[in-house]
Amino acid sequence: MASTRPPRFLLTVLLIAAVAGTAYLLWRDVRPAAPPQVPGATDGPPARGGRLVVGLRSEPRSFNRHVAAAAFTDVFTHLTQARLVRIHRQTGELEPLLAESWTIAPDGHHFTLQLRRNVQWSDGTPFTADDVVFSVEAAFDPALKSVLAASLRVDGQPWEVRALDTHSVALAFAAPFGPGLRLLDLLPVLPKHRLEAARRDGTWATAWNPATPPAEIAGLGPFQLAGYEPGQRVVLTRNPHYWRTAPDGAALPYLDEVVLEIATDASTELLRLQTGQLDMLQQALRAEDVATLQPQVDSGAVSLVDLGVSTDPDAFVFNLRPEFWARDPRAPWATSRALRQALSHAVNREQLANAVFLGEAVPVWGPVTPGNTRWFSPNVPRYAPDPARARALLASVGLEQRDDDPWLEDTAGRDARLSVLTFRGGTQLERALAFVREAAAAIGVALDPVPLETNALIERMVTGDFESLFFSYSTSDLDPALTRDFWLSSGSSHLWHMAQPAPATAWEAEIDRLMARQASTTDEAERVRLFAEVQRVLAEEVPVLYFVAPRLSMGVGRRVRQLSPSVLRPHLLWAADSIGVTP
Amino acid sequence: MLRRLSLRLVLAVALLWAAGSLGFVMTQLAPGDAALADVGPGAVEAREALRARLGLDAPLSVRYQRWLTGVVQGSLGHSVLFERPVVDVLRERMVNTAALALAALLVGSLLGVPLGVYSGTHPSAIGTRCIRGASALFVSIPSLLLALVLVLVSARTGWLPVGGMTGAAAASSLLGLIIDRLSHLTVPALALALPLAAMLEHTQAQAMADVSSMRVIDGARARGLSRRAAVWRHAWPLSLGTVLPVYGVLAGSLFGGAVAVEAVTAWPGLGRLMLDAVRARDAALLAGAAMTATALLAVITQGIEALAAWRDPRTGTDA
Repeated sequence: MASTRPPRFLLTVLLIAAVAGTAYLLWRDVRPAAPPQVPGATDGPPARGGRLVVGLRSEPRSFNRHVAAAAFTDVFTHLTQARLVRIHRQTGELEPLLAESWTIAPDGHHFTLQLRRNVQWSDGTPFTADDVVFSVEAAFDPALKSVLAASLRVDGQPWEVRALDTHSVALAFAAPFGPGLRLLDLLPVLPKHRLEAARRDGTWATAWNPATPPAEIAGLGPFQLAGYEPGQRVVLTRNPHYWRTAPDGAALPYLDEVVLEIATDASTELLRLQTGQLDMLQQALRAEDVATLQPQVDSGAVSLVDLGVSTDPDAFVFNLRPEFWARDPRAPWATSRALRQALSHAVNREQLANAVFLGEAVPVWGPVTPGNTRWFSPNVPRYAPDPARARALLASVGLEQRDDDPWLEDTAGRDARLSVLTFRGGTQLERALAFVREAAAAIGVALDPVPLETNALIERMVTGDFESLFFSYSTSDLDPALTRDFWLSSGSSHLWHMAQPAPATAWEAEIDRLMARQASTTDEAERVRLFAEVQRVLAEEVPVLYFVAPRLSMGVGRRVRQLSPSVLRPHLLWAADSIGVTP
Repeated sequence: MLRRLSLRLVLAVALLWAAGSLGFVMTQLAPGDAALADVGPGAVEAREALRARLGLDAPLSVRYQRWLTGVVQGSLGHSVLFERPVVDVLRERMVNTAALALAALLVGSLLGVPLGVYSGTHPSAIGTRCIRGASALFVSIPSLLLALVLVLVSARTGWLPVGGMTGAAAASSLLGLIIDRLSHLTVPALALALPLAAMLEHTQAQAMADVSSMRVIDGARARGLSRRAAVWRHAWPLSLGTVLPVYGVLAGSLFGGAVAVEAVTAWPGLGRLMLDAVRARDAALLAGAAMTATALLAVITQGIEALAAWRDPRTGTDA
């Protein structure tokens, strides 16, 4: 009797075919393609209503900008609070917000602000001059230790503020200050009626923490907190009392809801953008992410929004603290300008931009990049790729080839070798460092990378416990007078030698002097000239090497409308009241 | 019996103390602290004030003593990351991890046990070869890699959400809520369940082969039972003596895998919480999470051991 069972090889073939077919289906993305994106459609007229879903990389730690400097708190503040004035992130111009007009006294540092009338907090309470006075006093209250205080002080002094009536305020800085009222962009106005008790009874630091019921948090921004689901999302809904209107008179914001979806893993976040679970991310895309998103860009599901050249270049910082090198025999060459300039000559910035950033980066020779159009000075010393010049500079500090290994040695026979701390997991940064290491090796200098987790690296940086470090940091403001912490030798962000009681070198004293003049004059042309001089001095001394500044772009879902992209953070959400989505 | 229980209790307390202390001390010893993460390097005064508020300016021994005193008094401390009592945070996350682990255990058992019974009783069938091949594949793939593959498949197909526990839009009905939860649960649960199913299949098949060699099936069939009934009613119950203890081991690997899977799939459970606690240098939270995971593991292991002892009293003795 003949068997009715199919032969085994047939079953095996069928099985293999089934597996291969399934794999093929998965490979060729079985999702239906979206209609091609109409160019510029993201700038189309927004519809009222809808929900915008945005990625968030960390859990909220505080909803009070005076208490936390974390990225979340900054974004949350942009979405839920308002300022007296704001700097338009695209034009750089000062715009009236809660202060609808102002006058400046002839001395240049006394101001009278007229506040907007008929404005209400999100809980319906009227906004008055008392709220402004409260916010300024909170920023400088020594008991509260606001994280904003250091940035807001003028000449090291707090502002003077008093209410003239319910809708006008007198404000005075200790001295004329270059940025003038632009400084007010840093200060969110907080509700006195909600936070005064916390200020009085010493619970300020924990008021408005993640456990606070949303109803207790009021703001003047376009949205209000509706809920926080730990580990999942922060939900914001339209502020029913928001006071701004669109140029056509339409009430703002357009959106009903903004949802910040928490996903601490960058790759998962990118996948969620690809699948349409997120409408946008908050971070600019890495070069490799742009390639990953290309199929979605081609199908119209995602648009790439160009932000321009980043204002945050990568930074190779040398430790120039004398106390760190006091007992190290390498100090004479390790802290020398010749070594720093030699390494700058060793690196071909164009090649670095091509190899690591796939061409999406521009060479830079200082911390101010072409992305900062107002303050960038092209007239700084540039270090062309020149290995011969680099070796000559190294020889000038006694570093020469004295044995058979690839490294130069000093007069005592010690290798020209430095450790370099860098962020672990920052793929772009790690690849850039690999490029710099190769370039340094070509002139006989060994760089030993030490990848560290973010918190550990910052700790080492703050305590000055490093030989060199390679990382990227965020510029908080484009105006140099508002980033004096970096430039001044006494600054807590003066990376190579923080918080000096007096300038340790003549060139740092020169920068201090120029920056003081630059910050205290209100003559814009003079400020630009003085700051160009500061940039020149820094580029000559190169305590920090800058190689490239990437061109930034962001991935945005096809539903999103009317964006105002900015190179400054938050790149897209700084004008969230104007953003809309198609239903 | 009482002596044995007392000994186990003492061991359990020692284990919890060791897990918690290790988590607390290691986090405190790591460079960087919560204040740095919160206010950044620039605001020196604010950072020092926060360090003082969080008690980070005290020596490690004092911090440890404070934490241990709290634990003895029934408090696991205050989470710096969430600004809430650690117990409250753990309660939420424990439920999420338990849901994920139970789903994985259920799916793994529903797949692994029947397939193991089949392959154990049909050693030369082509189906068995396919099952063995798949088992070998899934046993050798770490849950992390499997999670990444599943997430990638979900992303390319658009069939399932690739992260989170619920959708951004609130469900409008109970059915919608259930579908939303299940669709988000599928990827992380499968990432944990497939290796589990492979291990169970392997163990179950071996156990069935051993039982079959005892001629149990032949005997039952001689009494007139169908082959299927003989396998499931007589041979399978006998095989459980070998399979049940394996669940204790699997529970351990399940928690280990959950840490990676939760991170990849953005599932807000204990595993992801531990990662977040490490990043934020939240020592009390990490210690609490480590103690909770240890306690859960101990309870599950003991429960399975008790079940095995009930099933076969010979396995419950110390002799």
